[in-house]
Amino acid sequence: MEVFLKVGHLKKSFKNTEILKDISFEVNKGEIMAILGPNGAGKSTTIRNIMGIMYPDDGTVTFLGSKQIPRNKIGYLPEERGLYQNVQVMDILLYLAELKDYPIKKARERALAYLKKFGLEGKEKTTIDELSKGMGQKVQFIASIIHEPEFLILDEPFSGLDPVSQELFKQEIRDLAANGTAILLSSHQMNLVEEMCDRLFLIHRGQKVIYGKMDDVKQEYANFKCTIKGENRLEDMEGLPDVQRVEQRDDTTIMYLTKDIQVASWLKNLPDHIDVKELSIDRISLHEIFIDIATDKNMLKEGAETNA
Amino acid sequence: MRNSLKVAKWEMKRNLKNKSFMIGIFLTPVLFIGFMLIGSLFGGSEGEEAVTRVLVNDQLGVLDTLNETAEVLDLNIALEATDKSAAVMSEEIEGMENTAYVMLDDSALESGVFPVYTSDDVNSYFMNQLQALTTPLKTLQLQQLGLTEEETAAISQGLIFEEAAVSESAGEGEQEGTFSNEDTLKRIVPGAFGGIILLSIVFSGMYIFQSASQEKKDKVAEIMLSSLTPGELMQGKIIGYFGLGMVQLVVFLAFGIPFALWNLDIPLFEYLLVPELLLYIAIAVLGYFLYAALFVGVGATMADMSSAGNFQGLVMMLPFLPFLFIGPVVSDPSGLTAQIGSYVPFTAPGVLLLRLSMLDTWPWVEIIISLVILVISIWIFMKLAGKIFKTGILMYGKNATPQEIWKWIRA
Repeated sequence: MEVFLKVGHLKKSFKNTEILKDISFEVNKGEIMAILGPNGAGKSTTIRNIMGIMYPDDGTVTFLGSKQIPRNKIGYLPEERGLYQNVQVMDILLYLAELKDYPIKKARERALAYLKKFGLEGKEKTTIDELSKGMGQKVQFIASIIHEPEFLILDEPFSGLDPVSQELFKQEIRDLAANGTAILLSSHQMNLVEEMCDRLFLIHRGQKVIYGKMDDVKQEYANFKCTIKGENRLEDMEGLPDVQRVEQRDDTTIMYLTKDIQVASWLKNLPDHIDVKELSIDRISLHEIFIDIATDKNMLKEGAETNA
Repeated sequence: MRNSLKVAKWEMKRNLKNKSFMIGIFLTPVLFIGFMLIGSLFGGSEGEEAVTRVLVNDQLGVLDTLNETAEVLDLNIALEATDKSAAVMSEEIEGMENTAYVMLDDSALESGVFPVYTSDDVNSYFMNQLQALTTPLKTLQLQQLGLTEEETAAISQGLIFEEAAVSESAGEGEQEGTFSNEDTLKRIVPGAFGGIILLSIVFSGMYIFQSASQEKKDKVAEIMLSSLTPGELMQGKIIGYFGLGMVQLVVFLAFGIPFALWNLDIPLFEYLLVPELLLYIAIAVLGYFLYAALFVGVGATMADMSSAGNFQGLVMMLPFLPFLFIGPVVSDPSGLTAQIGSYVPFTAPGVLLLRLSMLDTWPWVEIIISLVILVISIWIFMKLAGKIFKTGILMYGKNATPQEIWKWIRA
């Protein structure tokens, strides 16, 4: 796969606080790359540095090997977004396409097609301030892809969308990637990221925490956990083999298991006397990994160390 | 530059499609002319005051001469002969309207006092106007004394003290102002035209204010900056609103020129289309760019119009600074205040326009210094505005403090 964007050793400070500490990653054509992190981790700052809206103190950003930002080939949906309020939907879409040097006629066709696709048919003459928040988001999304960008940056594209619209966006983003668009996506919705992304970059306090393929990350970090509902003593559970850590709350016990266990054979280790009202075994989700990192529990680090 | 023009086109289009802007653009001249009409309605009632009928019992045979004089001086008086005596008339006249009665006989001529009986509601200027008719009577008096015509002329010429001009240009300015009305108009017309250009583009320049802070309010800046550089966005706005100012100007003139042609009895185009006009327009345009740079920069520091801080409010008042100079400049277009006014960047365009339309001979050195100051300050302010705009436009939801702005400028 061809690399579209390459970020190398990016550093940025505001006043005396280092917001970005040595951030490096790549985005390939035709893949969806997620940039994740808790609020204030430095996601939007990274993106703004890529877009040339801010300038890094150190490090490089190259597009297809060139330092010049190919603005016309990039679509950008910022986190802080809005559109001019008192203008018509079609006018603003065409203006944004024109700024990207995209042919007006083609832009108009695409705009109408997308409005239809997103359930906004017949709204092209409506002014932006008459649209609901969700509709506004859809128009902003259309605006970011109307010029057929080769590289698309989506900063929190799903925030404030209802599940139906989320699904619509998800499908559209997948289609774009399938057509060869390089996509950099930042989001808090872990379930969506987990479903959609090919690779991810997890950032916390301006530093890289995890960077790799989604499947590898899951493989490496997402160990199994066993959740049992029932009245049980903590000691009983801690004594079981291959248990890294036990969390107990009310009548629920969660056992975080070491890597590489055989689920079926591990289950045989459960003593007969324990009280099981419900039992489930599943992998730690990206959501849990995320919360774990954001709250500095460092479960993963411990896990990774024990695994090593 | 190409991108700037796209932004300019967009800003123009979006405002011209905006109802409130269009209403504003037409309402301003309509209101302006409306107020002028109201003014002239009040003014007109004075000019067309009813003619006062003066009944003259002429025993001196001067009625024709008096009539001539009244006509020459364009007095609001109609003289009529009557042979009724003062005793009869003094009673009769009380029942009449806007009428006066004068007895012209030898005894009055000798004493030099002609008693005038007037009705109650006589025109307030009547007595002043009537005084003008004393000249032919005076001549008659002198002739009766047996003086020759030259002697009569010499005496009736009268004596006055006249102020000799010490400061040449000041004297000239005033003399021009008072004596040759036509010449003054010749200079004022292009100057006023320049003033209208300045005013209408400065007004539309104030929309830049709104536009720049609206950019923040709508959070659209970041989307724009993914396609443009902040510099292009700023330039585009400045050019775009310049265009809108021009549209405003055209609308203004479309109302104003017919109105002026109809209301003023002057060859307007002949006065307007002179080489001086080019300089006036240049000054107005320079003034626009100065204010535009100021507004676009300050606008980018404000979250929205209603939350403008003291600092921002102060800057908004700057275009009105030249009004402070109007009084001193009009009374002395070459004075110190006028000169200072032409050297301070924010007052220079207004004061220069005012001075140049009043002065007979132009102080070229001062004009050039003033223009150089203007151009340099435009350059500086554009640079500063660019720096402020770049950072300010992305600062959503709050006003920048002067300290922060200072930091951006130094960055």
